[in-house]
Amino acid sequence: MSDQTKYANQIAIVKEECPNADEEEIGKEFARYEGDFLIPPEDALRSVIRKFQVSTGVEVSADKSPPVREEKKVDRFSELDADDRNVAIEVAVVSYTPRTQMVRGEEKQIAFGWVEDNPHEASSERVRWDYKDWGNKGESMIPGSVVRLEGASVNEWNGKRSLNVNRTTRVTVVKEGSGSAPPTSNEPLNIARASEVEGFVNVVGRVMSAKSDVIIRKDGSGEIPIVRGRISDSSGSIGFLSWKDFEHEVGSLVKIVGASVRKFLETPEIQINDGTVIEAYHDTSFPEVSELAKSEKVSIADLRNGMRDVSITLQVESWVQRSFESQNGESKTVRSGDVMDPSGRCRLTAWCEFDPSPGETIMIEGGRVQFWQGSPDLVIDDMNQVKVLSESPWDAIDPQNHWVEVDLTSLTQGGSRRGISTSGSIVMIRPDSGMIERCPECRRVIRDGSCSEHGSKIGEEDLRLRFVLDDGISNASLILGRETSEAFLGMGMDDVKSEISNVGREVFVSNLKNRILARKMGVHGRCLVDGQGAMLMAERVEILVPGPKEEAEEVMKRWEVEI
Amino acid sequence: MMSTSGVRVGRQSSIRIFAQEYSESSLVERGIGEFAPSFVITKLGARVNRCLICGGLERMERRDGDSGPYYAGQLRDPSGTHYFNVAPFQPELHPDAEELLARFETGDSVLVSMIGRQQTRESEDGGIFTSIRAESFTEIDIETYKSWMVEAADATLRRLSAYDSSQGAELTEEGLRNAGIPNDLVSGLVKSRQHYSEFDTEAYRVWVLKAFSRALGRAEDTEEIVSNNDFEPAIETTVQSNEGADPRDVILGIMGSNGGELVGYDDLVAACISAGSSGEAAEDAIEHLRDVTMEISEPRFGFFSSSS
Repeated sequence: MSDQTKYANQIAIVKEECPNADEEEIGKEFARYEGDFLIPPEDALRSVIRKFQVSTGVEVSADKSPPVREEKKVDRFSELDADDRNVAIEVAVVSYTPRTQMVRGEEKQIAFGWVEDNPHEASSERVRWDYKDWGNKGESMIPGSVVRLEGASVNEWNGKRSLNVNRTTRVTVVKEGSGSAPPTSNEPLNIARASEVEGFVNVVGRVMSAKSDVIIRKDGSGEIPIVRGRISDSSGSIGFLSWKDFEHEVGSLVKIVGASVRKFLETPEIQINDGTVIEAYHDTSFPEVSELAKSEKVSIADLRNGMRDVSITLQVESWVQRSFESQNGESKTVRSGDVMDPSGRCRLTAWCEFDPSPGETIMIEGGRVQFWQGSPDLVIDDMNQVKVLSESPWDAIDPQNHWVEVDLTSLTQGGSRRGISTSGSIVMIRPDSGMIERCPECRRVIRDGSCSEHGSKIGEEDLRLRFVLDDGISNASLILGRETSEAFLGMGMDDVKSEISNVGREVFVSNLKNRILARKMGVHGRCLVDGQGAMLMAERVEILVPGPKEEAEEVMKRWEVEI
Repeated sequence: MMSTSGVRVGRQSSIRIFAQEYSESSLVERGIGEFAPSFVITKLGARVNRCLICGGLERMERRDGDSGPYYAGQLRDPSGTHYFNVAPFQPELHPDAEELLARFETGDSVLVSMIGRQQTRESEDGGIFTSIRAESFTEIDIETYKSWMVEAADATLRRLSAYDSSQGAELTEEGLRNAGIPNDLVSGLVKSRQHYSEFDTEAYRVWVLKAFSRALGRAEDTEEIVSNNDFEPAIETTVQSNEGADPRDVILGIMGSNGGELVGYDDLVAACISAGSSGEAAEDAIEHLRDVTMEISEPRFGFFSSSS
């Protein structure tokens, strides 16, 4: 069937509007929309007509952007005219009264009240106007505060002027009002939620452990008695540190009111101070210690810097011991190795005579976590903290091929991990991708012939690619070191270097962009997470070949959609 | 990037979004402080600062503005059209824009993938027009395009599901979290539910189905159920929203205030949508005013003026 027959109905409509247009051309255009853009003819109608209006000389209105009004900055209301639209002024908010009003038949939340100009002077020097807030600025326009309004407009009605705060008006708080502080809830949070906040919380939980301890003052002026322990509920478990007596036994259920959650390294901890109230709590349906203890066991994916009291089961991958001389001349031995579980892999360091064989399954209780090169390192100090299990709770893991697939959001919201694979779309190729020079002492990148730490240096050449990986919900920096880059580009560093010197870095990056931007990439490697976001150090990357049919079937199944 | 308080603001993720969901948005959340990001919040609660969009390149032109040359264009996806531009202050993108312009002018069909930032402007009567300032873009093949359609459909269904779960939940962040709504959608959904009136989500499902049908390679099937003499693309019957402004008033208001200039069809529909009515209601209103009450006329296809 020719385009002309297939699209006859649509062509007829276009001909009515653009009599000079050629039917064959119109047919081709519909075929193009359907074949190349996947837009069926009925949806493409307006686009096609628009095109032929332009090409056959029917004039189409051009630029439609409205004239931009210049901002008028004033200090006093008296400087304003009745038709001023884009006004910037600082005012004191006197009152704010929200009200629901019908606007164009639609219920809208608006507010009205008084504002005064000249806000930094005594009120006898101020002029008071009415205002209306059309833009839900209640969070900023708190009575008693001073705000800067940008993009407000003047309204005049029956000779009386007032100010309109519009949706597009920018409200910046210059001085906060003392009026209403945000209300704090007295409701207890569950422990999982309390672990995510910093500040005062109330929690209900069962005491899982409590041990007296001391903190030695650094200045040598003595010791402070404290109690350390953990409390749990069905959502999770959190350590606590009490600076006062803690008289509740292991197993008792308590409500802690007014404790503060602080982070020790990356691990949240509840701090119990003089102002904190701890009371016995009664709830017969609250899980018992034995039940909560089961969920206390963690996996490698859960490890965070600063954790204590860690219970975990692991498979040993490798083990070495090393002797060194400590600062006071004593000879010391440290043993360490790589360990795995189904959620990933990490290091284990033992400051005791623990010598497992590769492949053995071990269980740790009371371990602690510190970080080593940005990845978690489990530490045991005492043989009592570890035992070798005769049976593994999981099928033996093959260390050669142990990659745990984790989606980008779980990665960015979790802790640093090794041995992971993930995927997302490339949304940026950083312009400094390509050849770099590193400081021979600290491996930092040298800029303009100088290291930020070691000053002017002759750098060592290295190859590095930097992307941003994004799955629509989360994103992470993605870094390919020399070997990974060489494998991905399919060329050695010297070839990359000569290409960049031939075409220039910009063209090199631009070519890379055309090849991979918006394409999906699979990544194997490790992930470092800190306060600045997540960084993936790739060992291997690949462009994933799109399979829209299979992808569509999977998504339709997930959301139970049928065509 | 640092905010004024010295707290580092993480990079905003690229929301996968179809043109229609984005263009129906009229809620802007402006960041306070110099580097604080702004967001367009859609009816489904997507908080869009950065997005990843794809589509057929339908228009691309170079223009000269007061501060230098810039580029404007349109990307067509199964739901509608994204408007984008490359600003005068992005000279590093101008070579890419020139290349894309050259490709467009050859008459070839060009499928484009683009990462861009939200951008809005407000009309005199308070209507919000959304568009996208390009950050980077590249030509893609049709398989990559189909794959993006599936991703955008997935993201839209995820938002639709969160929107459904938010019905009946307490409209606070805590309330929505308790209703099982994913963290990244919570704050946007609280704001969108407060700002937009109730609307029929059926239209959103229609583009999603269209996208799936194209991705599965079934575009041919849908053609047969198409009614041939229907002028308007919106064949799906959707319950007309009773709330929101009467689109006829909005249209007549625009006609009465623009000094007799012709107004484009898309602009009229966009203005009605900004005023709270649905796209279908806007299209019906235009027809009604043209064919029944004859208060407006269409001297040229797609362009309207007041009849008086």
